[in-house]
Amino acid sequence: MLDEILKSIVEMEEEEAIKKAKEYLDGGGDPQKLLEVCRDAMGEVGARFEKGEYFLSELILGGEIFKQIMEFTLPKIKSGSVKKIGKIVLGTVKEDVHNIGKDIFKVFAEASGFEVIDIGIDTPEEKFVEAVKEHKPDIVGMSCLITAGVTSMKKTVDKLKEAGLRDSIKIIIGGGRVDESVKEFTGADAWADDAAKGVRLCKQLIGVEG
Amino acid sequence: MKSPEELAKERLARIEAAVNLEEPDRVPFSGVGGDVIAAYAGITQEEFCFDYDKAKEAIVKFNRDFPCDWTFAAGFVGVGVPPFTYAFADDPDVSATVGMAMFGTIHDIIDDTCTRYPGREIEKNCSPQFIGGKFMEPEEYDDLIEDPVKFIAETIIPRICRNMNTPRKAMAAMIRLGMEAEKIKNFTIEVGKELAQLGYPAIPITLGYTPLDLIGDGLRDELNLILDLRRYPDKVKKACEALVEPILKAGLALKPLGVKYAFIPLHLNEYLSPELYNEFYWPYLKEVILGFAKEGIKSFVFFEGRHDAHLETILDLPKGWGIAYFEKTDVRKAKEILKGHTCVMGGVPISLIVGGTTEKIDAYVKELLDEVKPGGGYILATSVGIAPRETPVENIRALIEAVEKYGRY
Repeated sequence: MLDEILKSIVEMEEEEAIKKAKEYLDGGGDPQKLLEVCRDAMGEVGARFEKGEYFLSELILGGEIFKQIMEFTLPKIKSGSVKKIGKIVLGTVKEDVHNIGKDIFKVFAEASGFEVIDIGIDTPEEKFVEAVKEHKPDIVGMSCLITAGVTSMKKTVDKLKEAGLRDSIKIIIGGGRVDESVKEFTGADAWADDAAKGVRLCKQLIGVEG
Repeated sequence: MKSPEELAKERLARIEAAVNLEEPDRVPFSGVGGDVIAAYAGITQEEFCFDYDKAKEAIVKFNRDFPCDWTFAAGFVGVGVPPFTYAFADDPDVSATVGMAMFGTIHDIIDDTCTRYPGREIEKNCSPQFIGGKFMEPEEYDDLIEDPVKFIAETIIPRICRNMNTPRKAMAAMIRLGMEAEKIKNFTIEVGKELAQLGYPAIPITLGYTPLDLIGDGLRDELNLILDLRRYPDKVKKACEALVEPILKAGLALKPLGVKYAFIPLHLNEYLSPELYNEFYWPYLKEVILGFAKEGIKSFVFFEGRHDAHLETILDLPKGWGIAYFEKTDVRKAKEILKGHTCVMGGVPISLIVGGTTEKIDAYVKELLDEVKPGGGYILATSVGIAPRETPVENIRALIEAVEKYGRY
């Protein structure tokens, strides 16, 4: 049964995947095991994306299926019993009001076992600093779509340095206009322009195999 | 010293040679624009988006100091509301005046919920931004298919525009738009005149849209639309088919002004697998491009993101159909596939201009041109035209100089 659920998610069979997941739980299945299978499925979707077999449309649909299954699965799992592999503070940088890239990344990061603290869009530098102080994340993820976001990213990295927090965190930047030169310009540790790569790099940054 | 007329003629010939897949005297260069224009003039983004005089001065100053062959720092200052354009597809005189207007002043009048403007929803020095939204339910595809213009104008516009959601407010807004149209027209004419004095050729452009993008950006929201492709595939395809005609009608409203190009910015191209692209996106985009071609208008398509997976489909179009402007697709590879068929544009990552050094820019352009210059059919541009306000101006100069240095044939 779990194998079939995994296959349905990976093959983008939305209705089938949700129906089988419900049946599995109704039949007394272990929600923890279902969660793990869904995570594996999302890992496979990401892997196919990175191989060029899948596209953004599949990442979005896969994320949607995952979210729908989680809605009725997570309440059945005791809070605290789900092991997290790391913590990410995530936000779209100052002056940029777009959330799509950030939200797609968030689903995949959570599906990979990260705890994600989403601090929103148009996020001032100070808010990143405060969030790092408060949540002590392993990673800070900054997203932007518009080109103005690139300079906001640099300013945010600088503010984190000023606050003496830079050495305690890894920084990954992401978004459509981000590349290797933006990484160098901003002083981040890694960059990604898709969610699958972003999550893989986050795992590498904290030393979990990715 | 060349006269402005001579300069404009030379620049136009350069661009047209590239579009016609020939070798001009030098690689044509399309300059940057965006936030840096206001910053360079010392005005805020808010002033740039809402004050026609200040915007005009800023645009002229920027184009004087950073010359190029084809400027995008010209006729508009903000972001638009796509359904607004197509609500007037059956009224060409209206769509030609306010339908395509991308100005903060229009945003103030209609109070749309899908854009964010500096000094309004966001801080006064931010870029104007388009964020879209969901304005249509899946059950409404049938209404859209039956009469797209009526549905967009009468059902969607009141949902998007807070100042058009009752008949009284809509009437008042339309009168205000009519009054504003005159100012926009004057602004466009004035900018055109001043740019002509600087030796810029007049290249009037109209706007086109891919039907699927219009549904994603303007009606269903892109994420919902991606899910619709699996949930309601037949309805989505019928809606795309129904939107081709209004898209062409609105675009052709500007034909009497002598437009030569239809700018079509793509959005969902990068999102889609080849199967989905070939089923939902390309057939209808192709219809739009061919529809413009029939009227003697070449399409100028911005292929956002990576178009690598769909590059070969461009060869379905007739040779010399227009310009393919690539963002993250490697233009070297694109040129290889499309040479002798399509004019290729792009090549310089905007990040290099924002964060690079003048030496790096010089070296990059030299290497790029070595590869893509031979044979012509190429226009050099940055990956996206919007340069943030902190973009070092010496880097923009370095780009201009490098094209001059390495771009000669």
